[in-house]
Amino acid sequence: MGDERSFRVALVADRFVNPAPGALDGLAVLAAAGWGVMQLPDDAYPAEVARPLLVEVAEQVEEFSRHGYAFVLVGDRAGLEEALAAAGVAVPPRIAPASAAELGGFLAAQPVPPAVTAARG
Amino acid sequence: MGVAFVAHCLLNQNSKVREGAHCAGVYSPIVDVLRAEGWRIEQMPCPELAFAGLNRFWAVREQYDTAAFRRHCRRLATAVAGAIAARAEQGEDVVLVGVQGSPSMGVTITSSDPERGGRPAWPEGTPEHTSGEGIFVEELHAELDRRGIAFRVAGETHALATHDDDDQRARLQAVLRAGGG
Repeated sequence: MGDERSFRVALVADRFVNPAPGALDGLAVLAAAGWGVMQLPDDAYPAEVARPLLVEVAEQVEEFSRHGYAFVLVGDRAGLEEALAAAGVAVPPRIAPASAAELGGFLAAQPVPPAVTAARG
Repeated sequence: MGVAFVAHCLLNQNSKVREGAHCAGVYSPIVDVLRAEGWRIEQMPCPELAFAGLNRFWAVREQYDTAAFRRHCRRLATAVAGAIAARAEQGEDVVLVGVQGSPSMGVTITSSDPERGGRPAWPEGTPEHTSGEGIFVEELHAELDRRGIAFRVAGETHALATHDDDDQRARLQAVLRAGGG
């Protein structure tokens, strides 16, 4: 059995996963570019709901990072930086894209993840 | 219409056990149906990723059914249930979209083999599939029951020998529409 993973993961603000009508559909751009998505909690959630979800996001990022997967941040979420710091992970390269082309260009400019090189080796 | 809480790997196939990723990142067949039906998408954490890591072996339910993994799943379930409760309080319909055959994320089909253990060596195929919930779904189910929150379930079926894209789509659509929204 093959494995099609890209070794590329984007932390994505909710508004790019569930865009308002006419807004940028970040999920579609990321899917087309072959990036996996880790969705960040909706901004509408109060801190007591969002915080434990962000803790889990950060723990999973830490696991991916140790294995050489690439990360980017699309949009933002209050509390994310603190959660990543608590897990010992730096905030990845970030963008708040205004268009699909801008997001696509940003993704294309990312370096090849170390995990890809390891998998090929 | 409502909110679909989906298994982590449906948006991020990088979380799959090795040799388990069906595509590069987002598993679009499920996403496309949810969006076409007008549902919000919210991603749940992957119970196996943070607990057993990216180098974990393929496993059946019995191998994960330990006090430590259940404690981990209850922690995740409490976090997810908080988000589900916030949606339910607004009167939104909730559907859990799991992964059929998964020891953690199966919603009506999980995997079972009481004899499995030791040095990993087993033939191709999926003879371990059996009716039931995966461990995380079981813990989330219990937490939502405790909170009195109603929900429906659907499952991605790629791991099943009977998988068919059209059938998977039709079953998901039927579950989404069952609420009358």
